[in-house]
Amino acid sequence: MEPITAPAIDLVSLAPVLVLSVFGIMVLVTDLFIGKDKSVLVFISLTGLLMGAISSLAKYNLPVHSFNGAYIVDHLSVFFTFIFCISSALAILVSVDFNKREGIKVGEYYSLILFCTVGMVLLASATDMIMIFLGIEIVSISLYVLAGIRRNDPKSNEAALKYFLLGAFATGFLLYGMTLLYGSTGSTKLVMIASAIRNGGVASEPLLLMGVVLLIIGLGFKVAAVPFHMWAPDVYQGAPTPVTAFMAVGPKAASLAAFYRIFSEAIPQLSPSWEILLCVVSVITMFVGNLGAIMQTNIKRLLAFSSVAHVGYLIIAIIAKNSLSSSALMFYMLTYAFMIFGTFGIVILLGRKGDENLEIENYSGLAYKHPVLALSMTIFLLSLGGLPPLAGFVAKFFVFSAALKEGFLILVIIAVLNSAVSLYYYLKVIVFMYMKDPVKEFDITLSPMTLFVIAISIFGTIQLGIFPDSIIALAQAN
Amino acid sequence: MELLIFYPLAGLCVAFALGVVINNSPVGSAMSLIAMMLGLAGIFVLQQAHFIAVLQIIIYAGAIMVLFMFVIMLLNLKGSGEDASWRSRDKNLLMTVLSGFLVAGLLYKILCVLNSGEFDSPASLPENFGTAREVGTILFTEFVLPFEVASILLLVAMIGAVVLAKNKVD
Amino acid sequence: MLLKLTGLVPLFPLIGCIINGFLGLRIGKNAVGLIGAGAVGLSFLTTLFIFAGLVMTPVEERVFEQVLFTWMSAGDFAVDFGFQIDPLSMTMMLFVTGVGFLIHVYSIGYMHEEYSFYRFFAYLNLFMFSMLLLIMGNNFLLMFIGWEGVGCCSYFLIGYYFEKKSACDAGTKAFVMNRVGDFAFLLAVMYIFNIFGSIDFTTVFHAAPEKLIYDGETVTIITLLLFVGACGKSAQIPLYTWLPDAMEGPTPVSALIHAATMVTAGVYMVVRCNALFALAPLSMTTVAFVGGGTAVFAATIGMTQFDIKRVLAYSTVSQIGYMFLAVGVGAYTAAIFHMVTHAFFKACLFLGSGSVIHGLHGEQDMRKMGALKDHMPITFITFFVSTLAIAGIFPLSGFFSKDEILYHALMDGNVILWGMGITGALLTAFYMFRLVFMTFFGESRVDPHVHPHESPKVMTVPLVILAGLAFFGGALGIPLFHGWHVLHNWLEPVFHFDMASALEHSAHLLHEQGKHAPSLTHLLEPAEHNLWVEVALMALSFSIAVAGIFGAYMCYIKMPHLPASFTKGQWGYDLVKNKYEVDELYDETIVKPTLEGSTLLWKEVDAKGIDGSVNGTAKTLGWLSNHARTFQSGFVRNYALFMVVGFISLLIISL
Repeated sequence: MEPITAPAIDLVSLAPVLVLSVFGIMVLVTDLFIGKDKSVLVFISLTGLLMGAISSLAKYNLPVHSFNGAYIVDHLSVFFTFIFCISSALAILVSVDFNKREGIKVGEYYSLILFCTVGMVLLASATDMIMIFLGIEIVSISLYVLAGIRRNDPKSNEAALKYFLLGAFATGFLLYGMTLLYGSTGSTKLVMIASAIRNGGVASEPLLLMGVVLLIIGLGFKVAAVPFHMWAPDVYQGAPTPVTAFMAVGPKAASLAAFYRIFSEAIPQLSPSWEILLCVVSVITMFVGNLGAIMQTNIKRLLAFSSVAHVGYLIIAIIAKNSLSSSALMFYMLTYAFMIFGTFGIVILLGRKGDENLEIENYSGLAYKHPVLALSMTIFLLSLGGLPPLAGFVAKFFVFSAALKEGFLILVIIAVLNSAVSLYYYLKVIVFMYMKDPVKEFDITLSPMTLFVIAISIFGTIQLGIFPDSIIALAQAN
Repeated sequence: MELLIFYPLAGLCVAFALGVVINNSPVGSAMSLIAMMLGLAGIFVLQQAHFIAVLQIIIYAGAIMVLFMFVIMLLNLKGSGEDASWRSRDKNLLMTVLSGFLVAGLLYKILCVLNSGEFDSPASLPENFGTAREVGTILFTEFVLPFEVASILLLVAMIGAVVLAKNKVD
Repeated sequence: MLLKLTGLVPLFPLIGCIINGFLGLRIGKNAVGLIGAGAVGLSFLTTLFIFAGLVMTPVEERVFEQVLFTWMSAGDFAVDFGFQIDPLSMTMMLFVTGVGFLIHVYSIGYMHEEYSFYRFFAYLNLFMFSMLLLIMGNNFLLMFIGWEGVGCCSYFLIGYYFEKKSACDAGTKAFVMNRVGDFAFLLAVMYIFNIFGSIDFTTVFHAAPEKLIYDGETVTIITLLLFVGACGKSAQIPLYTWLPDAMEGPTPVSALIHAATMVTAGVYMVVRCNALFALAPLSMTTVAFVGGGTAVFAATIGMTQFDIKRVLAYSTVSQIGYMFLAVGVGAYTAAIFHMVTHAFFKACLFLGSGSVIHGLHGEQDMRKMGALKDHMPITFITFFVSTLAIAGIFPLSGFFSKDEILYHALMDGNVILWGMGITGALLTAFYMFRLVFMTFFGESRVDPHVHPHESPKVMTVPLVILAGLAFFGGALGIPLFHGWHVLHNWLEPVFHFDMASALEHSAHLLHEQGKHAPSLTHLLEPAEHNLWVEVALMALSFSIAVAGIFGAYMCYIKMPHLPASFTKGQWGYDLVKNKYEVDELYDETIVKPTLEGSTLLWKEVDAKGIDGSVNGTAKTLGWLSNHARTFQSGFVRNYALFMVVGFISLLIISL
């Protein structure tokens, strides 16, 4: 029996994963020794996220492949790692006061966010189907638990259970798709799949295509694309608000990164077949998201539908798959993180214990009582609607230009039309804030952490809108 | 020869899978599930994946399903009796037509796949394929990273289970 | 170097907006008014300095670009945040800041009773900032920012009296209609970027003759998209219905945004893109006919309205139609000329009507006015002067600018366009004097409890200045002899377009594609300036205007019963009075279906959502049979089913 020769193990490229996992475990352990006050955990998690972000810079001379082509560190993954760390940090910051108010005293909350971040980093760096699958599962399982973390709240339970059942169902599709891809090309590595397709080493063309369709469904579920989006409004509404915000940004960005990688690196040769599929998905996603949002009266549901619509725009970046579109994707997700956390930060501020004030009607007259909050909300919403010169506009402009460069004129027309429609429901909220009399007293505790998040988000939304150049240069550096 | 074994096994699997869904009593469903797992294990053997087949039996048919049975019996779940609502659902013409179309499309697609006739020459398997030793070697060389990452996944799942199942609701 | 001051022009209103917006409640009304108006005044002063700088530069160097920073760049694509000063943007800046300043001053008096005075001035300053960005931007994207910005401010200001539902609705309507236009504009910008790889004005217009084929598909699409954008902003057919409703806003807003500045942005944009439009004769014809059609169409509605501001609104739509008519026949100078004079007299008219409304404590119905000329003499005189100007009476400004448009419509366009123009002129004279007669002459129909009074100085002084400008503004472009037309000489460099080389390039491009290039040499023949035709036309249009006034005099002074007798029971009159039922048409065909569709989606598809239904299985089953058709039912199994349906559908598509 000859001994197994150990493979080359490149721990440096895994640095962010290791750092975040270590801190995740540290949070768990520390939790055992402290009492009800969890602020130490917040501190540890934030340190972990900071270190994680820094450690992602450990490699230079990108891209670096490691682990037999299962893992890559390139600009996409580093940029996304930063997005993940930022969004997780913002999520933790908005959680602090919310958890105090709502009595969520589970220390594991923070470690789950950290582990979820680990999953996201893996997703953005994975170049092997198995790794992508594992990443998705780490992220999903953390989210199932986070969504149901308020165990005494039936709505939270319902959200978690729904998410879990449907997520498991979607995972079935995803796995089946990966299997078919493996079966017809003989490898799980994205590069090998691509070369098999290029060199005609495909066992069965129809099975391969079927695998692609199944992949679209599995990934489409994770990013909440129509018609696999139906969990999103319910889960967004039922989950604790900071978790909703977290869910809408980080995991979505991670799944999109993996989505982009699979389609642009493994199966670009098949683009004639999947382009049309993704176009259809993108178009119905935009329409359902925007039309669905118009009549919503609950702000969380409205934002859920709006985030569905945003996925529609982002899928366009995947369809375009040129260098411009990958940087557009990165830039979009970064701006999206700021806009979403800002909006949800305000949503959280407006709630109080036992009454979260989630109806849009409850925003009436906010501008008179708290003009600065109302102004911030206006900025976030207008940016989400893509109004210049805010960050959302620049991001959309990028994505659409990338698609236009590849000649998807009709798709871009539909997208621009949709973003025009979308402004209608964002404005509805603004109208309530500025033009209606208050229906009830605002009883707002201005918690410093949440205000801090809002301030950062405002800064990000305006900075990335007016001076996006430096960030774009970073996203472009490949 | 292979097909002679495959089709009965596959047929059994499908039948038992249906049994899981249709059966009114939870215990019956669970038993059907075990039977289906065994059928699957048989198919794995047929595919030269002996190690996986054994795992399938030990883990799924053995450990997990036994746990299921315990839970069902401890909670003393009863079947939902007469309330098999899927049989008495309103008929909806639109939905029927729609599903008709969808099923037709699916069948057509399957026919396409079958007719493409590219299954005749499967690649020859490497030596020692599917043996415990080979699986082990691959796990520690080529797939060492996924193997390790799976541990994080399990850790997360464990934390999640503990958080959700903790005794005291705070 | 005076031109370097450029950046300050939009900066002042921005600062004013920030101060008023954040500190407005604390610093008191006087300070708010001072800051608000002062910021724009400073802008105007700076603009004057820059103007002096530009005049001192030699004619051929009168394009000055100041890049503040690179806004975004990605790969081969870069957009600067920079300003472009040339005679065209200079002209716009001058009258926008000038008229804007006067209206700000007027607002101090007009809005003084309002509680949220500071909010009004913050919005107004923000509007000035956006408008200046729109004018001064050196690329399409920056123009688009301003474009969206003015749209937003307009939306907020229309809905200023938010307690009135009609005001909110009007704001939403304006916004949605503008979005349609913006959507087209943005598409055009992307298309331009796609073809030229740049969206800088200078680069694009410079490269246009080389990259685009004369009368080709590309340039036609781009220009038509741009024009749809312009239609939205400038309230042309079919996107005009928002402007009359926008009169729900405070009167100074109507004067500033919905008469003098923002609504002319569409004209400015088309004029700015003259290098593209020159290559698209089809689009030019479209522009001309839409403009001419709107001019007549809106004028007919204007004849039947009784709300004083609505009459003026339709008049604005109609006058902007004139500007587009001019642009469409290639008479860019005439369009800008009319834009400037229109800003003077229309601002004066709106402010005058505001003064009337102010004096009558909010009454806007002309049937409840009359004989006001003795009560408010200054308002009456200024109003009368401006009315003469808009009606086109010699030698007021409107006479010259309108006449120039009519002349070009006949010489460069065709008889139909000219016919539209002259009809519009007749109608304009009629409805404007109808307004004056009903408001200021005849018998008083004012509510006896209301005592009309003249407005304070802070309101009348701007009126007097604007009336003076409306009177003498024509001096900018005295026709007949070429050298006298100041505005023409000034703007000439901007409209310089080398048609010969453009045609050569496009023939070359067509040749490369293996197509035969049509001979288009007739385009190169220089247009002749026919002095006698012009004089004859002047005489004709003058008499037309007098005829319109005479008609109004007969109907509303001499024989007041006349209108009622021949409008009664006429379906045609009712149709016009109901604004051709266009609003109802849009409601039925577009608004209702959208809302109903969305309601359907919500009610049928998404009403259940989360409701704790997982807790009760029995209830769940009962509901399932009731709501089997709902999609977003809240039930996991339905969602899963939907996923399967989606899967199979995708599979079928991928066949």
